[in-house]
Order: sequence, then structure tokens, then C-alpha cells
Amino acid sequence: MANIELDTLRKEFGTGGQTVVAVENVDLDIHDGEFLVLVGPSGCGKTTTLRCIAGLEDVTSGTITFGSRDVTDLRARDRDVAMVFQNYALYPHMDVRDNLGFGLKLSTKLTTDEIHRRVEDAAAMLGIEELLGDKPKELSGGQQQRVALGRAIVREPEVFLMDEPLSNLDAKLRAEMRTELQELQHELGVTTVYVTHDQTEAMAMGDRIAVMNDGVLQQVGAPETVYRSPTNEFVANFIGSPSINLFTAEVEGSTLVGPRDFAYDLEDTAPVAGYDRVRVGIRPEDMQMVSEGGTTATVTVAEHMGNENFLYLELDGHEMTARIDSAIRPQAGETVQFTFDEDALYLFDPDTGDALKTKTDDVDTDVATMATE
Amino acid sequence: MATQDSTRPANSLRDSVRFWRQSLSSVLPSASDSTVGYLFLLPAIALFAVFLAFPIVYTLYLSFFRFQGVGGETLFWIDTGFFSYRLVSIANLQFVGLSNYAAMFTDSLFHQALFNTVFILLVQVPLMVGIALLFAVALDASFVKFRGVFRTVLALPVSANLVAYSTVFLLMMQDSGLVNYVLTGIGLDPIPWLTSEFWSRMTIVGAVTWRWTGYNMIILLAGLQNVPQQLYEAAEIDGANRIEKFRYVTVPQLRPVLLFVFVTSTIGTFKLFSEPVIINGGGAPLESTITIVQYIYQTAFIDFRLGYASALTYVLIGVVSLLSAAQLRLGGEGDA
Amino acid sequence: MREETRREAVWQFLTYSFIVLGAVVTLVPLYWIFVASTLSESEFLSSTSPRLVPGGEFFSNLQALQARENVQILGHVGQMTQYVDLGPVYFAYDFWHLWNPGAIENSIFIAVAYTLLSLVLCSMAGFAFAKYEFRFKKPMFYAILATLILPIQLLVIPLFLLMSQLNMTNTYWAIILPWAANPLGIFLMRQNMRSIPDALLESARMDGATEFQLYYKIALPTMKSSLAALAIILFLFQWNLFLFPLVILEQGKYTIPVAINQLVGAQRVYYDQIMVAATLSIVPIFVLFLFLQKQFVSGILAGSVKE
Repeated sequence: MANIELDTLRKEFGTGGQTVVAVENVDLDIHDGEFLVLVGPSGCGKTTTLRCIAGLEDVTSGTITFGSRDVTDLRARDRDVAMVFQNYALYPHMDVRDNLGFGLKLSTKLTTDEIHRRVEDAAAMLGIEELLGDKPKELSGGQQQRVALGRAIVREPEVFLMDEPLSNLDAKLRAEMRTELQELQHELGVTTVYVTHDQTEAMAMGDRIAVMNDGVLQQVGAPETVYRSPTNEFVANFIGSPSINLFTAEVEGSTLVGPRDFAYDLEDTAPVAGYDRVRVGIRPEDMQMVSEGGTTATVTVAEHMGNENFLYLELDGHEMTARIDSAIRPQAGETVQFTFDEDALYLFDPDTGDALKTKTDDVDTDVATMATE
Repeated sequence: MATQDSTRPANSLRDSVRFWRQSLSSVLPSASDSTVGYLFLLPAIALFAVFLAFPIVYTLYLSFFRFQGVGGETLFWIDTGFFSYRLVSIANLQFVGLSNYAAMFTDSLFHQALFNTVFILLVQVPLMVGIALLFAVALDASFVKFRGVFRTVLALPVSANLVAYSTVFLLMMQDSGLVNYVLTGIGLDPIPWLTSEFWSRMTIVGAVTWRWTGYNMIILLAGLQNVPQQLYEAAEIDGANRIEKFRYVTVPQLRPVLLFVFVTSTIGTFKLFSEPVIINGGGAPLESTITIVQYIYQTAFIDFRLGYASALTYVLIGVVSLLSAAQLRLGGEGDA
Repeated sequence: MREETRREAVWQFLTYSFIVLGAVVTLVPLYWIFVASTLSESEFLSSTSPRLVPGGEFFSNLQALQARENVQILGHVGQMTQYVDLGPVYFAYDFWHLWNPGAIENSIFIAVAYTLLSLVLCSMAGFAFAKYEFRFKKPMFYAILATLILPIQLLVIPLFLLMSQLNMTNTYWAIILPWAANPLGIFLMRQNMRSIPDALLESARMDGATEFQLYYKIALPTMKSSLAALAIILFLFQWNLFLFPLVILEQGKYTIPVAINQLVGAQRVYYDQIMVAATLSIVPIFVLFLFLQKQFVSGILAGSVKE
């Protein structure tokens, strides 16, 4: 077991004299036994980062350390890592038993008997003992997924790497595997780096999540922290579903003036000091419908989910989403009025996107910080 | 479950071999991606360079010379005491410029060979492609039973050795052979298959058709199976009969495959060698079946005019390459 | 409606007749050559009607064929000239010298050796082209691609001179090596190996496989059916080669095509013997064809479909 340390990791791809920076000077400390999720939109460099950790890509500069071992220049097979690929990458010509045992056979000094034992233990752990004699193409997607996991587990590596391992499963199975994977990881206590583009998956699974964009690491923290206190507008926008409502507002004294009749009086003007304009962010669940005194918006679509309602609102060309109690059910085309608590308000620098103010409402922040420890 | 042999002693031997191999590979330096690529490529590229690339260039070179004997003249030598190397010329040559190419214009035997080849080509290729297409369509019909058996039988000649099957035809086409027996049996006159200039060419046509029809049928059948069934159904709704469906659906859909078959068959005819050599050897009037490749062979290895033969080869290579390039274009139309 | 069914029946009858006629025309020469090989020459020449029932002279014809000086179709036991009793190694060595291979053994040996060698070379080169990046990859690949359009069997003149220089005339190597790096084979392997997912190879790398293990433990086993189809293409290519063996081989090393050509072109032509030789050279491959039909068909299609 080991922690993983990325020190100013940089990866450039050269294509015909033109270099593309896929990973830009990422510093990241992954704790021993931690489940870290690397999340970001496609092309953000998360997979490249993972492949650098795996040893499948040479790094352009920077170092990668496992525990006290500098593994930057080691080949993948010498790093003691195991990886689960998106399409499972099971060897089609080998049965499940040989798929599981292949790595042990090639890279350990275990005897054949010991390999058999380890393979059977791993199969038992995942409930795939009956499949040991089958070829991959005889297995269902979920079973293939388990074999791919088993192949990683059986190696007992220092580090697990997972590249969108659940994205080929249907929604129900995916939710099931999510829990199972977490339990497994906690049981084994192996440091795990998990890549996904799905922020829900990231929030649900990660001990901590690392958000990347354009090759740059944006923020690392517990899911709760990243959600409540994003470091910038990108993170606030990427994390959370439905997405945060964002628009630009003018700062007039202590009042934020936005589209249509949006006008909000700030009690605490410190965050906006020195700004003419700011970006305003309000999470859909913080939108409160009021009968008067709020901002006027037109309902374009109302989705009744049963336990709650989603309202899609329009304010002079700006679209907003509100997540409200199921008892309140305005119809499409009606106008409503909404407001929100200042505690729940996010403010961002209009040029750099840096956060000026994030949530300060009454959730016990001690709990959130404890989770990161 | 063959691996359920937990206590077999054989495992320990296997394991020690494995461990030994592991230690070996961990000692070896790790090669970079491009080095590995070169290493995998090296054996093939080396043989390719010596036995294909060099001959291609050297044939062209030879075609500008008159061959005067096998070489042996030392071109370059190095002797460092413990290592010596001597590069020897491959042939003794006299430069003649383009005269080998010019000679072709007045070489009546070459003209005869060209004529024979084109004659066989014009008769044989349409005949064979037509028959192959009919067989393919017949076998593709939904009511045909034992399709696999028929396909196997019709494709059987593909595996026949070129020279051996030519011999079979030589023997069948004797004046008193099987074919003439069948002809007289149904009241026709026997045909001088091997002694008449015209019929000896026809013997080659028949032999080549027998050998290659099944081959082309397989390709056409694969093409037919790619024709969407809905097209036939649509044509049927539009009131097309069998012949019209064949004419307006099958043939246009098969066009690329048909073109491919035509071009490869044409190339094949230009390369005809085994059949005329055997039929000639069996007594056909010499000049009536001589093909270009056979003429090249005679020029090079009986008359030992290697320079002229090289020029002939290059002309042939030029023709065949043009045809092949056309074929690649046709075949590659679907994708980039 | 009745009219319609009747026409359908006539159509089906015509179709079947056509197919059956084709099958008969295909099979008759094969059956006839077999029957003819079992008749003595006088039986063959004197009979006014071709016989449908095999005779009993096959082995005596074969014996006569084997007795010929210049051509050996089947191998035979040679003289025990240098037998030294020094254990199994020497025994094996002498055993090889005791057996004088005939044209059939030569052809099979050459075709099998060529097929195996070429499969290794083509699959390695195809793997390199499909899965590695290196300098000059594209030019090298295009050079090979360009030779696809050349009739490579026709490059015999420089090959003959080259083999003379290398002292390789009248050796098996002379007809195995020149086309071992078969351009079509390299091209087909490269096309097929591109379909191996990169993740599969990376996964094996992480499992500790060396690059060579990737090739023979992952790439080759997943390419089994392509390799089988290519093997058929290569085997038939070599099996049918005639021009170059005719030029380069001498008595004793003849392959089947050259040996039969010798029989046909001889001063006195013995039909019975030729038929035995033809039967012996055609029948084994027919049997092979019947067993490996699927591979033959995919071989033909692989060779014809230029992706």
C-alpha cells in the first residue's frame, strides 16, 4: 500500500510540429488507501493523467512517486499497479481463469498452485466462481465487468486504476456496481484512482474528488466541499445536477442587478468590493418560490417527478432551473417569483471565474471536513 | 477445467521455466516503442529489400543491357585480416540503351505471343465470369438445397495444382481422349483439340475456365449475399420478373465485385504460364498457344537473352500494374 | 395461379439442372484421371470407350513411375552409405540421408516451410505496422503496398542471377525466401491487427507482458482465423509456383509442377505414369480442401477483398 504523489506532472502530445498540452503541471497527493475520483469533461486530461500513473504514457516532465518509490521512468509492468479498462480488455482467447491468472503468471514468482488459489479467492470474492471456465464472449456485460475487476484484485497491487469502468453498463447495474466497488475498495484498502466524466458517480463514490479541466487540476476535496465551496465557476458548474444557475449581474452599491427585474440586496458586500460586475450562481434547490417580492420569471417547462418538481424558467433569454417541493406546481407559461437566501449564494469573478463567495449556510461544516481526513 | 491440476509435479518444472524466463526478461533493457516496431519489422523488411525491392529495380536496369554472361568481377573488396568481404558483380552486361524495347516492334514471335494472350483473354474472361455469375446466382436462390455441397464441389478445382490440372486437360483432350469420345458419342465429329491452332487455344480457354470458375463464384456469391433483400422485395412490388430483377437489381449491386473479378481474371490471363507450357509440351503447334510469360521464359532461360527478357518483363509488369491499380481503385471505392 | 406454380417448378428444375451439370463437369475430369491412373497404358490407349470402373494397375504404374531415373514423384529409400551406429542423433541424421525425397515430399516440405516462415514474418510486420509508431513507418508501408500491384512471381530474371551469386541455386531456400515477406500477407495482417483493441495490449503490458509476449500471447491467438486464411493463401501460392522452380531447381529437388512438366515434355510420354503423378499431386490437396473448406473460402475472400 502506498500513497501516490504527482509533482508538477506534465504531458504534451506532439502532432506534426504542433504540441498539445494534455496535462498541465498537476500536483496531486493521493492518500494511502484512499478512493480518489478524477472527474472532468471529455478531453480534460483525466484519462491521460491516469495513464501516466499507470505507466502507459511517458511523462513530459514532473515526477510520480508511489510511497517512497519514484516510478516516473518505470515501465507499467514494474510499477505494481492494476488497471480496469473501460471496455474491460479481457483476453478473448483465454477463459476467465487464465484471464485472472495471466498477470500473476507473467510478473510474480508464485507457483502455479498459489496462482490457482489466488484466482479462486478473487473469484469467490466477486461471486464469479461458476464462470471460471468460460470465455469472455460467453459472459454478460456485468459478468465481464466483474472479471475485469477480478483481474485487478488478484494481483494485490499497490494501486488500483480504473478508467470509466462502469460506463458500459446499463443504469441499474451501474448503480449496483458502484456500491459494490466502493465496498470492495474499503475492504481491500488499496489506493484507488478512478476516472469518470459522470459527476454523480464521482460524488457518490469518491473519498475525495479531483476536478480537471483543459489539463489543469481545478480543485481537490471531499465531494461535499467541492460542491459547497468550489474554487471557481467551472467547478461550481460541473459539479451538481441539475447544474447551478449562472448569470452576470451588475454591482450597484450593495445591490446585484441582473436580467429582467432581478435585484438582490446583499447584507455582506465584502465579496463584491471593487467589482462592477460579478457572476451570480444559485443552486436549483436553493431557489424558493414566493408570492411577491422576488424576481419574476416565466415557466417554460414544469417536470413533475413525484417527490419534487423541476421548473425550467426564463428570464429575458436566461434559462434557469428550480428544484422545488412537489406541492408547488405552476403550469408552463405562468409567471412565478423566486428568491433565495444569501447564505446559499455563490459569486464569481467575471473575468477569472475565481470564487468570491460560496455557500455559508448552516450545514455542519465540521462533518464535511472530517470526511476529508 | 484442464487447469485444475493443483498437485501435479509437472507444475514445478513449468514454474521454474517461467521464473527463469521472467528473470531473463527483467534483465533485458526495455526498448522504446519505435525500437520494438523496427525489431518486429526487421526480418520482413530485410527479405523484402533483397528479394523484392532489389529485383524490381534490377529488372528495369537489366532491360537497358545485353546480357553476356553471369558476373564474377570484383566490384569492391575489403580485407581487414580477421574480416574480409568481396562484392561481386551480378552479371556481365553491355549497355544497349532502349534497343531492347525497340526490338519488340519487329519481333514477330512476341507479336504472336501477345496475340495469343489477348485472344485467350477475350474469349476466356467473359465466358468464365458469365458462368461464375450464373452459378453464384443459382446457388444464391432460396429454394436450392445442399447449397454447401454444391459450393464445395464447384470450388474444388481451386485447390488443384496448376501444372497437374493442365496435365489432366492435356490427357482429356487427346484425339482419342475423353472429350472426343463424348463428342462422337453424341454424333459429332472429333475435334483436333491439341493439333489445330484454333482449338489448342480453346483447350487452354476450357482448362482455365474449369480451374477458376469456382474461385470467382465464391467471390461473387459473397457479393450477392451483401445485396440487401429489401431491394429484391421492392423490385417484386414494382412488378419485376426474375430476369428483370437480375438485370436491374443483381447486376448493378454486384457491379464493383464484377469489375473486380473481371480485372483479376484479366491479370491472371496475362500471367498464364503453366497451362500453355504443358499443352505445348504435349504437342500443340508451338506458336499457337505461346503466351507472353512463356515467351519471356524462353527468351531468358533457353536463349539466355536476359536483357531483352527483362524489357519484356517490364512491359508486362507495366500492363499488369496498370490493371492492378485499376482494380485497387475499384476495390477501394467503398472506403478511403 | 396454377400457371404460376408450374413456371416456378420449371424454373427450379432448370436451376438444379444447371448446378448439377456444373458439378458433373467439375468432377468428371477428376474422376477420369483417377480411373485412368489405374489402367495400364495399353488398356488406356486401346479402349475405344473411356472406362468408368477403375482397373487394377495403379501400383504397377506407380512402380514404373518410381523406377524412372530423371523424375522422382514419391520418395524412396536410398542407399545406406554412411551409417554409423553412434546413438539416436546419428541415427536420425542417417535416416534423413536414407530417404531420398520425391517431388511430393519436396513440394509439401517447401510449401509448409514457406507458409510457416511467411506467417511469422507477415504477422510480425503486420503487428509492427498496426500497433507501433516509428519513423519511416508510412513510406515503408506504402512501398510494400505498392508491390501488391506487381506480379511478384514474374521477377525471376534478377532472382535467378541473385541466387547464382549467393550459391543458392538448386536449394529449397531459393524458392522459400524470395516471397517469404509476402506483401499481401503483410498487408492483410496489418489490416486485421488494427482491430485488436489498444486496451487489450496495454492491459497485458500492465500484467507484466514483454512486447514479444504481446505479439505471441495476445496478438497471435486473437488472430487465429485470419492466420488460417492467410496460411491457405500462402500455401497455395507456393504450391502452384512453377516458373521459378523450373528455372532454379535441378533433378532431385524438383517440386511437383516441375516433375510433371518433365514427364510431359519427355521424349517418350507414358500416359499411365503421368496420370499416377497427377492423381498423387491433386488428391491430397482435395482432401485438405474438404477438411479446411471454411479457411479456403475465407482465404479466397481475404485475397480478393482489398480493404
